[in-house]
Amino acid sequence: MAPLASIGFYLALLTFPDWSGAIEGSRYMTTILRDMTVFAIYALSLDLLVGRAGMPSLGHAAFYGSGAYAAAIASQRLATSELTVTLAAAIAVSAALALVIGLLCVRATGIFFLMLTLAFAQMVFAVAFQWTDVTGGSNGFAGIARPTFGGLETSAPEALYRLVVIVFGLVSLLIWWISRSHYGRALVGVRENERRMRALGYHTRRLKLSAFVLAGALAGVAGALSAWSFRFVSPNDAGIGRSVEAFVMVLIGGAGTLLGPIVGAGVVLYIDRVLSSAIPFSQAVLGVVFVAFVLAARQGIVGSLRAALVRVRR
Amino acid sequence: MSLELVVQQALNGISFGALLFILAAGLSLIFGMMDVVNLAHGAFYMLGAYVALQVVQITGQFWIAIVVAPVVLAAVGFVIEPLLLRRLRGRHLDQVLLTIGVGFVIVDLIGLYWGREVRTLPFPPGFDRSIDIGGSAYPTYRLFVIAFAVLLAGTLYWIHRRTAMGALIRAGVDDAQMLSALGVDTDRLFAITFAVGAGLAGLAGVVAAPAFGIQPGMDVDALIFSLIVVVVGGLGTLNGAAAGAALVGPAETFGKVLFPQFALALIFAIMAVILLGRPSGLFGRIRIGR
Repeated sequence: MAPLASIGFYLALLTFPDWSGAIEGSRYMTTILRDMTVFAIYALSLDLLVGRAGMPSLGHAAFYGSGAYAAAIASQRLATSELTVTLAAAIAVSAALALVIGLLCVRATGIFFLMLTLAFAQMVFAVAFQWTDVTGGSNGFAGIARPTFGGLETSAPEALYRLVVIVFGLVSLLIWWISRSHYGRALVGVRENERRMRALGYHTRRLKLSAFVLAGALAGVAGALSAWSFRFVSPNDAGIGRSVEAFVMVLIGGAGTLLGPIVGAGVVLYIDRVLSSAIPFSQAVLGVVFVAFVLAARQGIVGSLRAALVRVRR
Repeated sequence: MSLELVVQQALNGISFGALLFILAAGLSLIFGMMDVVNLAHGAFYMLGAYVALQVVQITGQFWIAIVVAPVVLAAVGFVIEPLLLRRLRGRHLDQVLLTIGVGFVIVDLIGLYWGREVRTLPFPPGFDRSIDIGGSAYPTYRLFVIAFAVLLAGTLYWIHRRTAMGALIRAGVDDAQMLSALGVDTDRLFAITFAVGAGLAGLAGVVAAPAFGIQPGMDVDALIFSLIVVVVGGLGTLNGAAAGAALVGPAETFGKVLFPQFALALIFAIMAVILLGRPSGLFGRIRIGR
């Protein structure tokens, strides 16, 4: 039942621009859904660390931001909008960066890991902010060309929407597959008891580093998609705010579940976009919601609902 | 670089380091006692600066502000610890996450109440001029910051080493559970620790405001710098905060002059080298990278 429902839901999402024409404000809703989907990819990538491997990274925006910049700069410098080139650049840069930062951080665990990822991610922000010749500095990088794939253009909103949702589908499949694979279970093993996993012969540090690089690469994909969606990248995309946002999405939605980060992305985007135009203190609301979840519902929305469902069935 | 410039930048570096010490001492104290990295530390620092701004606007007196702001922040800390953190006692990571949310709320409410533009706090009377050092004019306020931090460090060391409170803190840092078993009210001790840490962040905010300005984003800068200082110097000890601040302050200042585009990257490079070579930081007892 659940797989069928997910496939149905996904197809509805994919074809949203086709069937929503009659609804009032459907173009705006398409934009919101697109951005939600980009955020969902970003949140899913972080959940690989936070939810599966138990690595609380507070520096995930480093990879989101570097992916966004890499896609933008590659397309400008190489004078191409070919998706295979720009997306590859985003993945390569964010994965390479994740490898370097990961090598320094995976030695640490828990709070220390969180602290180090936060600090090193800020380095990426600083470079984006200070290396004006390449990144445009504090003004950011505007007018990014939307990608083409073979002969297909994505400059039309519907085409870009479809690209984002297709990538989201692929990333979700990948994460789902990982969660069922030997590799994914080994990551959970590291989360639960790293010493035991090491005693069982697993190379836990290598496992953690690989998860860190993979999560970084996927965040880079989300970043590239955001660069094309907004046609703008700024240092804030690599900043602490963006990192915290991802963490909040994962935690509010429910860490370690496939659906949780997606739901969390929806909640955060709603607060960011819809609520922020209604009240001037939406970030404070986000903070309060986050505090409430940490205090009272650490498993997040999806985790809590699941626990409630289990209770009801008994 | 001319000699004058070197002297001037050295003083800038030392005064920045002095500020970092005040900032990092609070973060380190809370960590040492409670095993919690308070990620609202930057927000506390920012709130300290804005409270100071408010006090100066009302009374016109910087010297009142430098007393009031830390007291207000200590009160905030004294409320937050029992109200929120205590519920998660023993779950350190969740406590850290909680402080992220607290910081979010504080920073946004600051923006709501005081606005989101750049503000300035005038230099206090008596420290609003420059004096001649090595052939160039140097603002006396920055010298005051250095002297103030040295004095504060001395006081903190004295409290730490010579008073009953200091003995409790040292015992708590060593083994809070044992301390509790010996009949010390650790709930109260934790609340006080958190209050003092928050107060120190607030104090850093006031001291920084005239020299470094008041603006959105100052919370993040303060948090990142204090994290770097404690990682470099070592977590949980006063020596660590002092050593980290003494290294990071001048490194940042000279980095800015020598490699303007990569000043911050230089700081992170230092941090990376220390982490690889000495995972517990210069004076720390806790290994950060195992």
